[in-house]
Amino acid sequence: MSTRNNVPLERLGAAVSRTLAAAIEVFRRPDATLVVVGTAVGYLLIYLYALGHLAPGIGGFDVTVVSGALEKFFQPELGPFSFTPVARVSVGPVTYLFSLNTVLGLGIASLVGLNLGLTYLAWRQPAACGIGSSSSGFLASIPAVLSGTACCGPVVLIVLGIQASGIIVTAFQFLLPIAVVLLLGSLVLVGRQIDPARL
Amino acid sequence: MGFTRRRLLTIVGLSALAGCTSSADLGSEGAPATTAESSAAGSGSVSGGAVPTAKETLKLPMDPGELESLAVSGGPPKDGIPSIDDPSFVGPDGAGFLDPGDPVFGVALNGDVKAYPQKILVQHEIVNDRLGDLPVAVTYCPLTGTVQGFERGETTFGVSGRLINNNLVMYDRATEAWWPQILATSIPGPWNSAPGTRSLREFGLVWTTWEQWRELYPDTQVLSTETGFAKNYGRDPYGSYNPPGGYYANENTLFETLEEDDRFSRKRVFMGARTADGAVAFDKSTLLEERIMTGELNETPVVAVADQRLDTGYVYLNPEERTVTTDGSTVLIGDSSYEPDALPLAGIHTFDAMWFAWHGYYPDTDVYA
Repeated sequence: MSTRNNVPLERLGAAVSRTLAAAIEVFRRPDATLVVVGTAVGYLLIYLYALGHLAPGIGGFDVTVVSGALEKFFQPELGPFSFTPVARVSVGPVTYLFSLNTVLGLGIASLVGLNLGLTYLAWRQPAACGIGSSSSGFLASIPAVLSGTACCGPVVLIVLGIQASGIIVTAFQFLLPIAVVLLLGSLVLVGRQIDPARL
Repeated sequence: MGFTRRRLLTIVGLSALAGCTSSADLGSEGAPATTAESSAAGSGSVSGGAVPTAKETLKLPMDPGELESLAVSGGPPKDGIPSIDDPSFVGPDGAGFLDPGDPVFGVALNGDVKAYPQKILVQHEIVNDRLGDLPVAVTYCPLTGTVQGFERGETTFGVSGRLINNNLVMYDRATEAWWPQILATSIPGPWNSAPGTRSLREFGLVWTTWEQWRELYPDTQVLSTETGFAKNYGRDPYGSYNPPGGYYANENTLFETLEEDDRFSRKRVFMGARTADGAVAFDKSTLLEERIMTGELNETPVVAVADQRLDTGYVYLNPEERTVTTDGSTVLIGDSSYEPDALPLAGIHTFDAMWFAWHGYYPDTDVYA
């Protein structure tokens, strides 16, 4: 392998290690940690709401776990990334459904939170270079929307008044993986601009 | 992303009229089920006798293979929308989750009186149940607003995940043949490429409100929310009927309709009836207002009568064109009076359907509004 071929890899490695260092730095600062946690919790709630797993219900106080919950936990329900709820928690007017989507949502919410946390750091960093503050927040919002839409399935099109086709329905299954890749990409894009030494 | 929340979800469903009578005996106040004499149970069943089918096969709008080619994935995989296979029921006092105006699908048959709440069926689309000793499937397609009951023999029906004409395509778990709900007739599909063309035995369910059903049947049983699934039955992913809103009240369809027609708005509700000879549809709101309407089904005179106890209607063949009137509370034929669901005429299985769905499958339908 030539040295020239190694250059992009080295640059990527450097960007990743910078991102990791910046991520650690995020959690050393209470204000940045608050941004991460606040964004992640907010995103998770919206994600579950969009999925219908956190919504107004029929009322009452009740916890139900379905039989064979473990087996059903990994069973797709309404689409490739929409899994079967295995427990229902009703607390007054609100009903929460627990499924693998809560775990997935937590993962995506963490990535969204970290993106915003790093953006916050880049913004707070004295004489921060480049694109940091405004565009990375925007970058993080695109995959966030994609991941939510992916789980909603084609019926989301009813709301938008768009008529579905086979191609659109097929495309839905790629939205969640695309969202995760975009979130990781934007994370590195922002993270590489932060110099932990200058924080 | 809040805009997405109310309408996530998915689809499927289908049924049609057998044109022949069900082998079941109607309860004294049950809706008319069929037009002809009952065929022997199980005769003419599909691929090995698993599903009881009718003697007469309903008319399909096109070649069965062509129908298969029009099937689209609604999003969920096979059984992604799970049928209820072990339903439990509560008494009316245990149905506190229902508001008076909530839609329920009611049936009084074989000694059983049951109400299936729309808010539960919208999440399952099929309930494999028994009425008396008769195994039945109660099916509902939210996208076409159709509720149809079928005899199922000893097998069960499931949701295929595919749609034709935006309408549920069911499959039977014995032969895996496809059964589009409104058509109620087997067509080829990926799991059974040659099921033959036969129609299911149907029975009527009434689309009414909880308040009206309970008043007429105070001892009714109600499908319980304890379905064995962790679902939120307070959330309809498509819209709302009480009050009307979302998908049920706008002009959007999820997929293209089979036929375009601008005579009526797409979601307008018609009382549809069909036989092997043709189809007829009466506008529901007009029928409820006028009480009695007459028309033709492929040149055979028919009469539609409203049942104001439940805000529904029934269609009867009336080849002799007997005069049918009303005195305000009952229906009069000659000197005798009858309940709307018990005229001495041949009843045709009648059910509610959104106009686009009915016209899509029956473009040559007679229609009265």
